[in-house]
Amino acid sequence: MIDPESARSLWFPIAAGTDLAARHVFHARLLGRELAVWRADDGHPNAWENRCLHRGVRLTIGINDGAELVCRYHGWRYANRTAECTYIPAHPADAPARTVCNTRYPLIERHGLLWCAEAPGPATSLPELPDELSLTMRAIPVAAPLAAVRTALIELGAVHDGKQLHGAIGEVLYLLQPVDASRTVIRGLLRPAADRSRDERTDRAATANATAYGAADEALLLEHDERLERLRRAIEADPARRHDPDDWPVVAPLVAASLATMPEPGAEGRAAPLRLRVGSMVRTADGSVLEIDLLPLDADAHLPGATPGAHIDLHLPNGLVRQYSLANAPGQTDRYRIGVLREPVSTGGSAWLFERLRTGDVLAASVPRNGFALRRDAVDTLLIAGGIGITALASMTMTLQRGGHAYRLCYLARSAEHFALMDRLAPLGDALECLSGLDAAASRAVIAERLGPYREAHHVYVCGPTGLIGCVRELAAELGWPDEAVHFEHFGNAAPLDTRGAFQVRLARSGLNLTVPDGQTLLQTLREHGVPVPSSCEQGACGTCRVAVLDGQPDHRDVYLNAAERKRGDCLMSCVSRASSAALTLDL
Amino acid sequence: MAGTDAGVDAGGGALRLHDYALSGTGYKVRLLLSMLDIAAERIEVDFYPAAEHRGDAFLALNPLGQLPVLQHGDLVLRDSKAILIYLASLHDARGDWWPVGDAVRTAQTVQWLAFADELTATAGRARLIEGFFYPGDLPTLRRRAHECLRILDRHLWFAERAGHGWLVAGSRPTLADLACFACVALSEEGGVMHEDYPAIRRWCDRVGRLPGFVSMPGVFPPGPGPDRGPDRDGVPSPVPTS
Repeated sequence: MIDPESARSLWFPIAAGTDLAARHVFHARLLGRELAVWRADDGHPNAWENRCLHRGVRLTIGINDGAELVCRYHGWRYANRTAECTYIPAHPADAPARTVCNTRYPLIERHGLLWCAEAPGPATSLPELPDELSLTMRAIPVAAPLAAVRTALIELGAVHDGKQLHGAIGEVLYLLQPVDASRTVIRGLLRPAADRSRDERTDRAATANATAYGAADEALLLEHDERLERLRRAIEADPARRHDPDDWPVVAPLVAASLATMPEPGAEGRAAPLRLRVGSMVRTADGSVLEIDLLPLDADAHLPGATPGAHIDLHLPNGLVRQYSLANAPGQTDRYRIGVLREPVSTGGSAWLFERLRTGDVLAASVPRNGFALRRDAVDTLLIAGGIGITALASMTMTLQRGGHAYRLCYLARSAEHFALMDRLAPLGDALECLSGLDAAASRAVIAERLGPYREAHHVYVCGPTGLIGCVRELAAELGWPDEAVHFEHFGNAAPLDTRGAFQVRLARSGLNLTVPDGQTLLQTLREHGVPVPSSCEQGACGTCRVAVLDGQPDHRDVYLNAAERKRGDCLMSCVSRASSAALTLDL
Repeated sequence: MAGTDAGVDAGGGALRLHDYALSGTGYKVRLLLSMLDIAAERIEVDFYPAAEHRGDAFLALNPLGQLPVLQHGDLVLRDSKAILIYLASLHDARGDWWPVGDAVRTAQTVQWLAFADELTATAGRARLIEGFFYPGDLPTLRRRAHECLRILDRHLWFAERAGHGWLVAGSRPTLADLACFACVALSEEGGVMHEDYPAIRRWCDRVGRLPGFVSMPGVFPPGPGPDRGPDRDGVPSPVPTS
C-alpha cells in the first residue's frame, strides 16, 4: 500500500514519449489527478490539470494546435510551456489577465518515458535506469491497486531494488504508475534486439540486419506484452486483489493567498521583476533600427508569455523607463525581440541603447502587458505600420498567419532601405505590402484605398508616428469605420504633462476621499496614499494605468482612448488625466 | 448528402438512406458516403421518441426494425456492413475501402466489421440505455465494451509500431476503420471512457483527419494535423514510428 500523500513527491512515468503524437492531447491520470498531456510543435511536453479554467471541461477533448491548447467548449486558448490563457473568444478585444493560467505539473522526458511528480520534494529524484533499456513496452492498465500489482509482479519473479515502485524480471524493467486508488498501469522497458546481438557478438552485418532487428523487437514486445496481459487477467480475476480501498482524495491546488485577499496597499511603482540578458543586437533599416533579443538569465528558462500587441518596460541603467513592443512569434517564450528606432532628438532612451548597450548586459524589465490586443474573430484584418510601429504589428501578423485568418499588412517606411524586422516578415508573402518614400498626400491616398468603405467585422490596427495614426483614424471615420473597429497604439504622448489645478477623488472600494493637488498627477496621489495602480509609459499612451470612473467628468489628456471611449467617460488614464468636474468617483 | 434529385447511379436510380441523426450505425454509412463524395437522399426515421423504426412502414423495409436501410432502385439493403460493402464496391474503384483483390486484407476487414458489431452490442447498447432509456444490464455491458476496447487498443498500438496505424495493415484505412470508429467515438456517451486506451485515442485523431470526414453530435473532430491536412494522395501522413 502506498501512501498517496507522500507519493505526490515521487516521480512516476505517466506516458511513453511516443504517446504524445503530433497535435494530439494525451489523457493521463496520476494518484487520482487527471492530466492533459500534450507536445507542442517545438517538442516541449506539457502536463496540465485536465480542466479548462472557464467551465471545467476536460482539455483532453480540446485541440492541440501546435503552440496552444484550445478548449473545445468556448475556445479559451492556453500557451505552450506557460499555460497562460492567451485568448478568450467571448472577449475578443481584451488581452486575458496574466493570472488566468492553468495549473502545470513538473514533467521530465527520460528513458523514452514522461515522468511526472505532482510536488517533487527536494530529496526525490528520477530513478537511475540503464540507458540501454530503450525499447518501451505498451502500457498495461490493470484494475487493481498498486500494492496488489506489485505483489503479483514479485510472485512472477520480479526483483526489486528496494525503491518499491520498480523492479526487473530478467531483462525487463517494470515501472508502476498509480492511476488512482484502484487502478495501476504497468510500463516496461526492454533492450532492443540490435543491442542484444551486439553483446552476443553476432552482428556480422549490423546494418543489413536492421529489418531483422526490427522484427525481433516486435516479437520481443509481443512476447512480453502477452506475459503482462496474462498477469493482468490473473490479477483482475482474483477478487482479493481487486479489492477497492477508499478513493484517494484529489488534493486540488490551494488557492493562492494573493487571490483570496485584496492586495496589500502599497506605493507600487513600475515593477520590474524580470532580469533579461542582451543577446544578439542587429542594426537594420540603414542603421536606424537596433533589433535586440532579450534572453532569460538561465538559458533553459522561459519568459512570461506575451500576447500579440504586448509591450514591456525596459528600466535602463540611466534611470529612464521606456516601453518597447514585442515582435515575438506566437508562443515564443525563449526571448523577447524588440526593435528600437534611433531618435534624432533622443531624450536618452534610444541614444543609451544605441551607444552603450552590449551583448551580455543585463536589464531590468516589467512582465509583458497588452493595451493593444488583437481580435481573432475578424472577417479581415488590415494592419498599417509606419516605421518602427512594425514591431507590435509583426507579432500580430505572425499570429494571424498561424491561425489561418485573413489579413493584410501595409508597411510604410521613409525609403526602401528603412524596412526593419524583415526576417520575421519575409514568410508573410503576398499579405505583406511594403511602401516607401511616399509623401503625406500619396500615403493618404494609399491608406484610403486599402481601408475602403467599412464592412461588417473588419478591423484595422495601426501603429506608427502620430501623423500616420491621425490620418488612418480620420480616413476610417470618413469611410464609415466605427471607433471599435479602429485600433491604434501611439509610441508616446506628444503633449507635455500638465498638472495644473486641484480636484477631489472619492475611491468607492477603499472608502478614501483624496485631493489631487496642483502640481501632482492622480497616479502619484493614489500611490502616496497606498493605493496601488499598475503603470507603464506614464504619459497616457499604453493603457496600463486605466481606472474605471463611476461618477464625475474626466478630463482626458491621454492618446490611448478612442473618441467613443472618451465620450462614455467611464474610465481614464490615471497617469495624465484629470477632472473637469469638481470631483470624480473611482472604482478603486 | 444532397436532395431528392441527386445520386443517380447506373445500378438503379437514386440512393435513399433511411437513417436517424443520432444513430451510430447510420453514422458508419454517413462517413463513407461523405468520404467517397456520394450523393444520397436521407430519410429521417424518428427513432426516439416516436419509435418509427418499430412502425409498419419501416418494418416493411426491414423486418428486424434496425437502422440504417439503403434503397437503390429495387434493392433494399439492411445491415450497415452490407451497405458499406455495397457502396464501396460501386464507388471506390481503387478498392481502398473494400480490398477485394487481396484475400488476407478482405478477410481481416470482415473480421473487424464483425468486431464493430460486438462494439455496437456492448458500448452501443450502453449508450442506448444512458441516452434513450433502453433496458439492459449497464455494468455488464460496460465491462464487455471495455474488453473490446482493450483488444482494439492493443491491436492499434502494434499497428502504429508497424508504421501504418489502421486496423487492417496497409497504407490506407478500410471499411473496418469507419465501422469501428463510429462505435468507439460514441462510446463515452454510454459511460465507456477512453482514458485507458491511448492508441485508440490517437487512431480517432487519424480517422477524424481523413479527407471527407464528417462529425455528428457527440463526436469531437480533431484539429488540423501536423501537416495541416491531407497530402496529395488524400491520406494523412503515416503515424510516426520512432
